[in-house]
Amino acid sequence: MEVLKEKVEEEEEAEREEAAERAERADKIEKMRPAEGRKEEIIMTQEMLRDLERKLSEIEIPILTEPPIFTKDTIDVSTLPLSYKTNTPKEEHLLLVADNFSRQYSHLCPDRVPLFLHPLNECEVPKFVSTTLRPTLLPYPELYNWDTCAQFVSDFLTMVPLTDPLRPPQYLYSSTTVLKYQKGNCFDFSTLLCSLLIGSGYDAYCVNGYGSQDLCHMDLTREVCPLTVKPKEPVKKQEKVQTKKYTIKPPRDLSSKFEQEQQRKKEEERRAEEARRLREEEEQLLEAEKAKPDPLYGLRVHSWVLVLSGKREVPETFFIDPLTAHSYSPQDEHFLGIESLWNHKNYWINMQDCWNCCKDLIFDLGDAVRWEFMLLGTDKPNLSLTEEEDNGMNDDDDVENLGKEDEDKSFDMPHSWVEQIEISPEAFESRCPHGKKVIQYKKAKLEKWAPYLNSNGLVTRLTTYKDMECSQILEIKEWYQNREDMLELKHINKTTGLHVDYFKPGHTQALRVHSYKSMQPEMDRVMEFYETARVDGLTKREETPKSMTEYYQRRQDFLSYRHIDYGPRVKKISQNSADSNPRPMVKITERFSRNPEKPADEDVAEHVFVIGEDRIQLRYHCREDHITASKREFLQRTEVDSKGNKIIMTPDMCISFEVEPMEHTKKLLYQYQTLMQLKSEEKVSRHQAWESELEVLEILKLREEEEAAHTLTISIYDTRRNEKSKEYREAMERVLHEEHLRQVETQLDYLAPFLVQLPPGEKLTRWQAMRLKDECLSDFKQRLIDKANLIQARFEKETQELQKKQQWYQENQVTLSPEDEDLYLSYCSQAMFRIRILEQRLNRHKELAPLKYLALEEKLYKDPRLVELLKVFT
Amino acid sequence: MNQLHDSVEPRVMDDDMLKLAVAEQGPREEAGQLAKQEGILFKDVLSLQLDFQNILRIDNLWQFESLRKLQLDNNIIERIEGLENLTHLVWLDLSFNNIETIEGLDTLVNLEDLSLFNNRISKINSLDTLVKLQVLSLGNNQISNMMNIIYLRRFKYLRTLSLSGNPLSEAEDYKMFICAYLPDLVYLDFRRIDDQTKELAEAKHQYSIDELKHREHLMQVQLEEEQAQQEELEKHKAAFVEHLNGTFLFDSMYAEDVEGRKLSYLPGVSELLESYPEKFAVICMSVFEYGLKQQEKRKTELDTFNECVQEAIWENQQQGRHKIAKFEEKYLLSLSTIREESEVPSIEKKIMECSEDITELFNVLMTLEMQLVEQLEEAINLFERNITDLVGLFVENVQACGCTIAQCRDLENHHHEKLLEISINTLEKIVKGELDEELPDDVRALFVDKDTIINAVGASHDIHLLKIDNREDELVTRINSWCTQLVDKIHRDETTRNRERVKEISQYIDHTQSELDNLECGDILD
Repeated sequence: MEVLKEKVEEEEEAEREEAAERAERADKIEKMRPAEGRKEEIIMTQEMLRDLERKLSEIEIPILTEPPIFTKDTIDVSTLPLSYKTNTPKEEHLLLVADNFSRQYSHLCPDRVPLFLHPLNECEVPKFVSTTLRPTLLPYPELYNWDTCAQFVSDFLTMVPLTDPLRPPQYLYSSTTVLKYQKGNCFDFSTLLCSLLIGSGYDAYCVNGYGSQDLCHMDLTREVCPLTVKPKEPVKKQEKVQTKKYTIKPPRDLSSKFEQEQQRKKEEERRAEEARRLREEEEQLLEAEKAKPDPLYGLRVHSWVLVLSGKREVPETFFIDPLTAHSYSPQDEHFLGIESLWNHKNYWINMQDCWNCCKDLIFDLGDAVRWEFMLLGTDKPNLSLTEEEDNGMNDDDDVENLGKEDEDKSFDMPHSWVEQIEISPEAFESRCPHGKKVIQYKKAKLEKWAPYLNSNGLVTRLTTYKDMECSQILEIKEWYQNREDMLELKHINKTTGLHVDYFKPGHTQALRVHSYKSMQPEMDRVMEFYETARVDGLTKREETPKSMTEYYQRRQDFLSYRHIDYGPRVKKISQNSADSNPRPMVKITERFSRNPEKPADEDVAEHVFVIGEDRIQLRYHCREDHITASKREFLQRTEVDSKGNKIIMTPDMCISFEVEPMEHTKKLLYQYQTLMQLKSEEKVSRHQAWESELEVLEILKLREEEEAAHTLTISIYDTRRNEKSKEYREAMERVLHEEHLRQVETQLDYLAPFLVQLPPGEKLTRWQAMRLKDECLSDFKQRLIDKANLIQARFEKETQELQKKQQWYQENQVTLSPEDEDLYLSYCSQAMFRIRILEQRLNRHKELAPLKYLALEEKLYKDPRLVELLKVFT
Repeated sequence: MNQLHDSVEPRVMDDDMLKLAVAEQGPREEAGQLAKQEGILFKDVLSLQLDFQNILRIDNLWQFESLRKLQLDNNIIERIEGLENLTHLVWLDLSFNNIETIEGLDTLVNLEDLSLFNNRISKINSLDTLVKLQVLSLGNNQISNMMNIIYLRRFKYLRTLSLSGNPLSEAEDYKMFICAYLPDLVYLDFRRIDDQTKELAEAKHQYSIDELKHREHLMQVQLEEEQAQQEELEKHKAAFVEHLNGTFLFDSMYAEDVEGRKLSYLPGVSELLESYPEKFAVICMSVFEYGLKQQEKRKTELDTFNECVQEAIWENQQQGRHKIAKFEEKYLLSLSTIREESEVPSIEKKIMECSEDITELFNVLMTLEMQLVEQLEEAINLFERNITDLVGLFVENVQACGCTIAQCRDLENHHHEKLLEISINTLEKIVKGELDEELPDDVRALFVDKDTIINAVGASHDIHLLKIDNREDELVTRINSWCTQLVDKIHRDETTRNRERVKEISQYIDHTQSELDNLECGDILD
């Protein structure tokens, strides 16, 4: 009992660190424990109970918080191919070599940790790490470049921390298994990434080394989210104005130099103060952000990918952390040391000192002093020129390693035992496990979804927080894909409450940007448009409760700007018509760009209609060599002169200033005509302003509808999602299937029932063949006759019934109600129809039967089984 | 109408008739009343209709400067005349008249639509200047020669043509011919030409059209070549070294030199003359190249100067505009407050402020202008100095002994000495009677005595020198005059610009001030 209990407890200790799958069992054990305890110690105090409870509750916590650990129990090993379960002789040989190498290494360097050479795979078989790499090029263009490839790996897999953070794992699973279950530790990550990178031509290596705590735990909370970093605007080089020979000298500066100097000094002091304060604040913040010193610093095992320069035009050697898909230079302080590295061909041990992280390491794998290789036969990369000079020195080592090398001389790395890596398009598209992934950055949270996972097309959401604890939301950015309304990005600023929607080209109203605080009309909002998609060339419309401003581009009438001022709404008596009560327009300002075909004096630059005062202001364009522009102001007054006639136009109704006074413009007629034209233009402008308002309402309504419906577009090439094409395809498949069935039917063996009667396996004799043929034919004849009889019988039956009915009708004709009569008549017509059909079928059968019979006979003569025997006979 | 023709008295286009027509065709209703009040000037009229007036002679139309459309159809006009001043005319209708020849339309370069329907015209000509012609109506005339069609090929924009009712339209090939030779035509005799007809016509007349096209192309090429040559010459003239890139000067030296030609028959002279032009031409060429180089220099100098001046003026304008815009904003605001203000003292105060603003604006603008004037003055002076220096250098180098024309003179002197030597030798020989060769009589006549021959050689030499001197003088005078003209022009332009600007500023200030004053008056009246 004691032994058993101990065992149970040991197990429990192990379980605690293990998966949640075992939680049940653990629970059971824990349930058992109190019972056992009661058995042994009959007297149990309340305190003890409470203590136990407390302990139990303590135990529970890590199980809940820890992510599910990927154990081999969850893997179904039965379906795995043979190469996973056994080792080939070559692999066995390799393992022996590796063991030998390991022994020599531990003998030579007793103070270093044992090598990570051949961990067990999912079937408990030791496999050499290089053979676990399976270089693969997948048919997705995204995986061809290292950055997107790494991003994919990091998205696709869920990270599981190492069971022992200080030692490399015992197990290293194949990439296929890892891909299937979509989780793994850093070694699994880097193995998969390395396989893909080598497959697409990079000179990539898996690294076994030491990393910082953040790196090992994939902790990005101290990193700034790459999406929040604004791209630095290239500093515009101030073009130095080249002083030409005749450039005029600037006017003399008459202000005091001394005063300026003093002013400048003061300003500088103030600025320095400000800068110092800012710096201090920043330092404080940085201090707060800094991580607590890690007790295990430099001991945490991590695995990442090294990409050497040279292949695929990689200019510089760099590291990729497969967990986060970030690239680092070898000088980065997150990487604290390298134990060994390998690719699919060889294995190298780092012989350089890592006291200064990886900063001093030289990645010249051909240098045997710095990198001890395991297999000689494979090509040495980066065999640099200095190598040759070192040859003399290396001779000593060579003598030392002679025995080993002789043995290895002709030895190649065996082919990988891992199956071909495959990723289905569906899995590739969904990217993250279950299509969703959350990354926590410094003051930001990034959520990713697979396309089409969310019904509103949401694919990415970035939430930015104000504080480190991520409690106060600063702003939210949401990226969408495949939306029918072309919505691309939604930006919500929580502090100002401003919403900004960005659209891709193709919105039905050519909307580009829509920023607003509320969806109510007549509030602050800015709409920007794709002006080339609009007939009226509108680029931007700004609204405030009291005004509306529109900007145009490339219009035939050169209109570039329209501003409408609204007055307060006039209250109407009837409340019902409140909807159709527009705000009264007070002023309309329209600006035009220069029309090169007109002289500047006749080309209107701006006209202002002050509607309340019946005033129209006109400003013309400025002439090229002038600084003043002509202008006119019309005041409309409808007055009546002394005789009672209406005054049409008087000189004081138009005040004009002309740069170059002209005769004809002074005339009243000209002014009158201009005024009339302006009046009609005013009407048009008012109408357009009204239409703009309507359009805003329409867009708002449309937007609301779109938000409510959020339909997604599906590419016609997307066979999986496109319902229409799916239906079509299924229909096609069905047709094909039916066709196939029919073919099978036609190929029915008409001899089979007769052949069965004969003893199987024996060759047919002629007599047998003859009989077979005759039997078959007679049988067919019988069937034909039967069929004819059947039709005949039915025909007769039908006729009889009809006759009976007719008789019955004749007898009871007088007493029948009209309904019954109708019934009878319809029965008669149907019966007649049936009789006619049967008659036709019978006739047809009679016609076809001999033909069918002949056809079968002919077929039988040509049947491969009978042809030999019957030929002789005929 | 035609029966009545003889009985109707021809009318004269006098002032009354025109006034009546203008008044009738002028604006209507309210605008008409206004027009009546003010009267319409002939030069403002855009369209005039004078049909069925029995006009015999076109007259008194010179005042209608801006006329666009003129209708003179259904009259008895016999000659096209008196339309020279109507250069803006776009539409001219002279149909149903008695015109016999097309004439007097040379100045109407803007004409697009010309109708000469139902006249007595027999030949299409003198329309060369009407390059914008689009519609030409010549129906019911007496045109009989098909070659008239080829004349119409020069009108690039001609789309509509009517020729029906002419003798040539009776021809069997009429339509095809026109379609083939005028491929851009869209309407013929008021009917659209379909593509099929066009193709047919083209196929039918392909050879002759190709030939015609080839000839036209050749003409075009020749014209272009001539133009290019002309341009080249202009360029050289601008560099003042025209005709110096060859033996032109040398040839001109011998052109008027009778003695020289005679002397060339002397033994030994011909060899001398062989090498002489080459040497001379080489020197001329160097002068020519030097001249072009200098011209290039002067041009860049001028360009930089112009560019800088333009920049300065533009910047100044921008400043001025900005100032005015700022002022106007403020001014409009204060005007509206004044209008709303009811108390007299505050109004007066506001008005005072406004007029102060105006004065300030005036001062600012004038200061800007003064600044610019000073700056430009400086730049102009610098430029003047530089360009004069450049010209001086050029002239000096052309004249100086080291180079160029002086070398020509040296060469000529050298040549003269040689020639003199040979001549004297020959004379001696002749005197001695040792000369073997035969000389022409007029040459022999020179060798009478020493003086005669020396005179002859001297005369030749003098002529040569004179030519060289002339060329040199021409160059120097022309370049100097160019220089002075240029500098004068720059100064003049600057003065005009300055005056214009000052005028503009004062005009604007006056206007603003008067507006303010008016407001004052109005308020007081109120």
